[in-house]
Amino acid sequence: MDPSEVEFLAEKEMVTIIPNFSLDKVYLIGGDLGPFNPGLPVDVPVWLAINLKQRQKCRIVPPDWMDVEKLEEIREQERKVGMFTPMPSPYYMELTKLLLNHASDNIPKADEIRTLVKDTWDTRIAKLRLSADSFVSQQEAHAKLDNLTLMEINTIRQLFLESLNHMYKLRTNMQPGKDSAKSQDF
Amino acid sequence: MFGEKAIELVRELDRIGDGQLPAFNEDGIRQVLEEMKALYEQNQSDVNEAKSEGASELIPTIKFRHCCLLRNQRCIAAYLYDRLLRVRALRWEYGSVLPTSVRFHMSAEELEWFNQYKKSLATYMRSLGGEEGLDITQDMKPPKSLYIEVRCVKDHGEFEIDDGTIILLKKNSQHFLPRWKCEHLIRQGVLEHVLS
Amino acid sequence: VSVMSDVLSEASEGSGDDSQELMTPAELIEKLEEAWLNEKFSPELLENKSEIVECVMEQLTHMEENLQRVKKGDLKASIHRMEIDRIRYVLSSYLRSRLQKIEKYFPHVLKKEKSRADGDPSYLSPEEFAFAKEYMANTETYLKNVALRHMPPNLQTVDFAKCVPEPSLDSFVFLRVKVQQENILVEPETDDQSEYAVDLEVGSQHLMRYRTIAPLVSNGAVQLI
Repeated sequence: MDPSEVEFLAEKEMVTIIPNFSLDKVYLIGGDLGPFNPGLPVDVPVWLAINLKQRQKCRIVPPDWMDVEKLEEIREQERKVGMFTPMPSPYYMELTKLLLNHASDNIPKADEIRTLVKDTWDTRIAKLRLSADSFVSQQEAHAKLDNLTLMEINTIRQLFLESLNHMYKLRTNMQPGKDSAKSQDF
Repeated sequence: MFGEKAIELVRELDRIGDGQLPAFNEDGIRQVLEEMKALYEQNQSDVNEAKSEGASELIPTIKFRHCCLLRNQRCIAAYLYDRLLRVRALRWEYGSVLPTSVRFHMSAEELEWFNQYKKSLATYMRSLGGEEGLDITQDMKPPKSLYIEVRCVKDHGEFEIDDGTIILLKKNSQHFLPRWKCEHLIRQGVLEHVLS
Repeated sequence: VSVMSDVLSEASEGSGDDSQELMTPAELIEKLEEAWLNEKFSPELLENKSEIVECVMEQLTHMEENLQRVKKGDLKASIHRMEIDRIRYVLSSYLRSRLQKIEKYFPHVLKKEKSRADGDPSYLSPEEFAFAKEYMANTETYLKNVALRHMPPNLQTVDFAKCVPEPSLDSFVFLRVKVQQENILVEPETDDQSEYAVDLEVGSQHLMRYRTIAPLVSNGAVQLI
């Protein structure tokens, strides 16, 4: 899966905006939005929030978790524990990137936030690489990955699945008498 | 050694990067086919001899030649099919009309395969409903916001967008504008797309 | 929107047990996205979802038509347009995934479709079936003309089913659980391991071989991610 596709999914998450325009309800195929009134908060999907922000038609309200103290706690927790801690949003990385790139003026201490999220991400990815290595070398058959986000899974997906599938091929080709249709007769 | 020319064909494609189409190796194919003909004829005569004179010592050689024949068939099929996959990819990359430079290395038969393929694909896409179906060779990437950031390269005066808002396009000013509205101004050299 | 509800209930009428279910447009899009992800990550071609494709196409066409009549640059129109572009992307990507697999595994896909019983679910839509047959015929004709007819008499055919690899059902996949499953058997990787059972709790995420959980993808109990 391309990272842009993970971002595409992340853009469906809802976020609060404060519009500066009026518009009556919009009946999208995916659900109803609005009505929009200047100064009154309304929830919209991120893809729309960013577009409206780009057109200077709204201010974006950062989600609750996009706060320095909360993120410091999360970073600490992630660094302390060997397992993966639950993240405040299944799309924490993409949302941070999207909102900071397009609405950093609406987000207090944007730079600190960026750093905190990146640190947490780095810690998690490092853990993930170790887990993946161990999975492959221990020849595990199953793993539970509850607190991993899609972006994290996607980052190691290609390499990981290819290694696993490659090793499987090697193993089955080495076993005599197995019905491996891929082997060559000549 | 038998099968050398055949494996060379396969190697040739392996060497070239994915997606590129080298010239069709007509000569190489011809040579492999000739080798196959020779092997087959030798086998025919040996098989007759083995049958009529009970010369069973010929059998290993017959089997060996048969293996070579199968291998040659396999290599040719692999070479031809791999090329077809590259030809197929061209439809998705360049559309239904191929630029001459890209068509250059296709054989006449490959071109015919390509034409059949694109016809098949067009029929399928048309069947998807609506007025003209759905062109699934478009929308290859997820859509991004309709708005793009542009910088004004030269003074252009007032510019109306959307809901009646007027923007002043002054040299060096930067704006977020709807993509569809900017495109012609970008082409004219009034605006340039700022890529972040 | 009420017209669409009618169409959706009509469409689902033919599919047996959920014939009385009315799907909202939002649910339809949700189902499309699920089908898109499943098809993207599954090693084999999944059951075709023609009803979903048809309904989504109708939604898109309908919306497009409405937008033609609205003044360009209207704010509401631009919002609708953005949504249409997003839905169209998912639909196109989904159909592309399927075509790629159909082309990649064409002899096996065709064999499976030709040999299925009347009541069995269809893997190919009628149009995909036609496409697959044409792909095979086109390729067969090509190989025959260029090479096979110049070969010795006993080598003038090629068994595609033997030459074209089958999808690897033992590939590992990532999944999220939607409906609780108990005692799913995990096969050992090596001879010195033994098989064991796992429970799949709702909302949990797992990495395991596709073969074991393939039926759970079909029946919607798990979502590939």
